[in-house]
Amino acid sequence: MPVKELHSGIYELDIDDRKILATKNMIPGTSVYGERLISDDGIEYRQWDPCRSKLGAMVLRNFDIPLDADSTVLYLGAASGTTVSHISDILMDGLIYAVEFSPRTMRDLIQLCDQRPNIIPILADANKPQSYAHIVEKVDMIFQDVAQPNQAEIAAINSKYFLEEHGHLMLSIKSRSIDTVASPKKIFKEEVRKLESGFDIEFEVLERKELDPFHEDHLGLVAQIFVDEED
Amino acid sequence: MLRSGGSELTITEFTAWFGKLKLDSQGEVQDCDLFDGNPEKLAELVVELQENSQAVPLKRTDLRDAAIECSFVELDEDYDVLLREVCIRAAKSQISRTDSDDSRIIQAVEALDDIDKNVNELSERLFEWYGRYFPELEMTGEELAGFVSAYGSRTNIPEGHELFEKASKSMGAELSFADEELLRAFANNICSLYDTRRYIENYINNSMGSVAPNLCEIAGASLGARLMSMAGSLEKLAAFPSSTVQVIGANRALFKHLRSKAPSPKHGIIFNNPVIKNAPWWQRGKLSRALASKISLAARTDFYSGELDQSIKDSLDKKLESIRQANPNPPKKKPHGKGGKRKSGGKNRSKKSGGKR
Repeated sequence: MPVKELHSGIYELDIDDRKILATKNMIPGTSVYGERLISDDGIEYRQWDPCRSKLGAMVLRNFDIPLDADSTVLYLGAASGTTVSHISDILMDGLIYAVEFSPRTMRDLIQLCDQRPNIIPILADANKPQSYAHIVEKVDMIFQDVAQPNQAEIAAINSKYFLEEHGHLMLSIKSRSIDTVASPKKIFKEEVRKLESGFDIEFEVLERKELDPFHEDHLGLVAQIFVDEED
Repeated sequence: MLRSGGSELTITEFTAWFGKLKLDSQGEVQDCDLFDGNPEKLAELVVELQENSQAVPLKRTDLRDAAIECSFVELDEDYDVLLREVCIRAAKSQISRTDSDDSRIIQAVEALDDIDKNVNELSERLFEWYGRYFPELEMTGEELAGFVSAYGSRTNIPEGHELFEKASKSMGAELSFADEELLRAFANNICSLYDTRRYIENYINNSMGSVAPNLCEIAGASLGARLMSMAGSLEKLAAFPSSTVQVIGANRALFKHLRSKAPSPKHGIIFNNPVIKNAPWWQRGKLSRALASKISLAARTDFYSGELDQSIKDSLDKKLESIRQANPNPPKKKPHGKGGKRKSGGKNRSKKSGGKR
């Protein structure tokens, strides 16, 4: 079976001419959310469904994914850990701080954390990074998928607390959670503007693409903290 | 880069999960007061810090480096292992503390809805099934289930029973012993579901009185519980504007209104309150606005003080009465056009939709 490594730790398997996105299963034999397990050459892969994961969709939309085997990631809006489990596969020697606000979904997430050594669960509100500033170190990447009306603000304030100087911010912006009626294009433009100049921390947007057909009315975005060269 | 003048003097304190740090303006650790390395104790501390922490962003200090520098742990891996254990413990203890009075009621009211849905389906099945053997029996629902579970086949109805006549002349098919047992067991289950339903209903009525006395008084126990369930919690319900309370449960109509020129919904699930249900149509909008505003007030009083405030009910009654007296007759114009125009002002559109889940 042909296997192509798209990015560090992210694979594209070719099964009967169907391309399947996958990561290497860190805990062989276990499927986290009912996804398919595929063995090849003694290596077990877990299928990664882009329709259930914004990051998966971003991979297929050809984003440059700033993740390495030893990255440290802050994941805001971890939910029950679908995407987190795949990042956990990618980060063989890294660490994920998974922040989730709802105790109900945290219950599922903790089951995952019990199995995997590289996930640190934090039950907290991403609006209040001060409430987990005593736990989280500086990270290489912040991934955010929170579906809140103030998504850009949450990204900015968390970056201020936790993002390394040259670290990346990956953001999935859901227009529906900002305004259900307004046109998504307009909202995306406004959110990007906010990130570029709306806060006391400024970002340089490196890449932005909409995530359809995998997720409707979502914008994927990769940014870095803007550093003024002259300063 | 900015550099403050007396670097020696500007020491900032920062409490990390492993200890209290004193940092100079360069972000270098000057002093550290380490906590006990016992994961259980650390987890308690982490939870406490999460609730009270006002930490500011650390510009130049990395927690991991600081922990190793202070020799709290020796290696990177030790840091990961310990932090992971502490955080899992902390999150578990936070989860176990999330069970609250209102969340119990919400579970109960949702269970009630599930039972209703299922018990209806099962009762219909029993009606169809048992109807083959005794079609003349004019019973449905709980009555039918009780009958089947008590008698089984119609041949078991004793002489002198009011249905004896009907049973002996029935055109229904004969019921074999095996089928009878099966039907009885099925009916038994339906009966016990009805029992459970009553049990849950009582539970909601009783606990609403103590958890949200005002809400219970204004909206009624079951409506109050439903409102809490749709809002997510009593706290969230208390935070909603009363315009949102008014239309909770009318999502489709509301979004239709926001997207197109459809008239705004007058009431969501608060329609189930007899005040509105029994009112003539031209008063319903006004009454539901008044009721919603008092429900909001009641929810807030419940969440923040928890004591019954009779004045809410009194002022609601007064308001309702004045609405009824001011609008005794139906208006001449079509109600739709009027209501639609008045309420579809563009200004608070986004606000309204923002308040909804």
